[in-house]
Amino acid sequence: MEKKVKNFRRFALFSTLMTYFVIFMGGLVRVSGAGLGCPDWPKCFGRWLPPTSVEQLPAHIDPSLFNFTLAWIEYFNRLVGALLGVFITVTTVWALVSFRKFPKILYSAIAAFFLVALTGWQGGLLIRLELEPLAVTIHMTLAFILVSVMIYLTLQAYFLENPQLESNSVYRPKLHLWAGAIWLVSMLQIFFGTRIRSAIEIIREQYPLLHELEWLAKIGFMKHFHITLGFILVGMVAYVFNEAVNKSKNPSGLILQGSWAMMILVVLQVITGLALIFIGIPPILQVLHLWISSIFFGTILIVYSSLKA
Amino acid sequence: MSSGNKIPKAAVITIPVILIFAVAAYIVIQRAEKSRSDLPVYGTVPEFQFTSQHGEPFGTGDLMGKINIMDFFFTSCRGPCPVMHTNMSDLYELFKGHEQIQFVSISVDPENDTPEVLAGYARDFKVNDGRWVFLHAPIDSVVWLSENGFSLAADNLPNMHSTKFVLVDENAQIRGYYSGTDEASINIMITHIREMVKSLK
Repeated sequence: MEKKVKNFRRFALFSTLMTYFVIFMGGLVRVSGAGLGCPDWPKCFGRWLPPTSVEQLPAHIDPSLFNFTLAWIEYFNRLVGALLGVFITVTTVWALVSFRKFPKILYSAIAAFFLVALTGWQGGLLIRLELEPLAVTIHMTLAFILVSVMIYLTLQAYFLENPQLESNSVYRPKLHLWAGAIWLVSMLQIFFGTRIRSAIEIIREQYPLLHELEWLAKIGFMKHFHITLGFILVGMVAYVFNEAVNKSKNPSGLILQGSWAMMILVVLQVITGLALIFIGIPPILQVLHLWISSIFFGTILIVYSSLKA
Repeated sequence: MSSGNKIPKAAVITIPVILIFAVAAYIVIQRAEKSRSDLPVYGTVPEFQFTSQHGEPFGTGDLMGKINIMDFFFTSCRGPCPVMHTNMSDLYELFKGHEQIQFVSISVDPENDTPEVLAGYARDFKVNDGRWVFLHAPIDSVVWLSENGFSLAADNLPNMHSTKFVLVDENAQIRGYYSGTDEASINIMITHIREMVKSLK
């Protein structure tokens, strides 16, 4: 049994990491402006492999829409997304076969299966809506929920594999509630982050020739709120980190890893966030800011679940 | 205060992993930006000398130093022209205050579209500055410019004129063709214009 759980946990972890890779690719598609690199879905310019030259375009498609590089960036995102779908399907079937008696594992695997399908389908809708900002935000939100479910699933398999994990550990009582509060504030932060991104998108359409810093200047309240809340979040994370790492007895490996990662990531998030504002939203920092937020979010789940376990 | 002072391995790994992904992202973004700004040169607009709606001469020299969006139309057109010029009028509004972006519409019906008629047409589209010019020229010159200059078919004028928007750079070189009636195509043109304005500065 133990060996079986271990293999499953490894595969679930691998699928979770793969989900993070797809989130990274999704962010990259967005900032490189490759979202409409393939104007149709699921095919790309009517082909299963993107065209390599203008001659391969079907007659009814306007050649000015074609950009080889952007088509491939978008296509790669679809490819890794589809591959992720396969991995998650395998995870779900595996859970159905071997872990039917463990509802936490079983139901999270089934949820992941439907979520990955929904996210892929909604991605196609997004292209038909020509990257309507709200649809883009929904796509990202679905991906965040998916990765959360995958982390939960992996953790449950890990707890099943190591039932004694937290038996010697003593933490400050109710510390998990603090982790829960961090989770809530992070949700709010991510929500404001997406609103800022949409606002920039709209301003960009109205003033396409302005400098990025001039776009930013046109976003008022939300920007300040996002920054302030970011610093509050650092304080909260530092508190939980100190309690979990320095003041508890025999903290588990998972808690140590998770707390350290959470602390490192929240600091990186502040650095990339401030750099975005001072340099003028360079695309590379946009991807990192979004991607780090998704990983940070994952580490909160790890810390919360282990404190609660 | 047990193992707390040592940073665990998995947490340390996050930094190099993020750095590796940052480098990969940087390369992809650079390539994407290069693909957008590396517009092909389809040819150079040949020397021409037409007349604007104000009755003033307008020629190749007036394209120089500006980013030009050019098209063919005629004022009494009932087909695609109203759509094209509603779109162009939106662009004219969008790029308000940017003198370096110029719109040039050439009439394929010179018999009816005299400079006076063109001036009235311009007023209908609320053109109140020099950023959008409407050109008049003998039909032979228009056909010649369309076919030889822009490689756009000009049979059966005026009705069968092209509905393309042609993007012409500051050296009168043709850099792109876009469908003047399709929003997606026009949006791509806007991103190309943004790149071209950056290199103009």
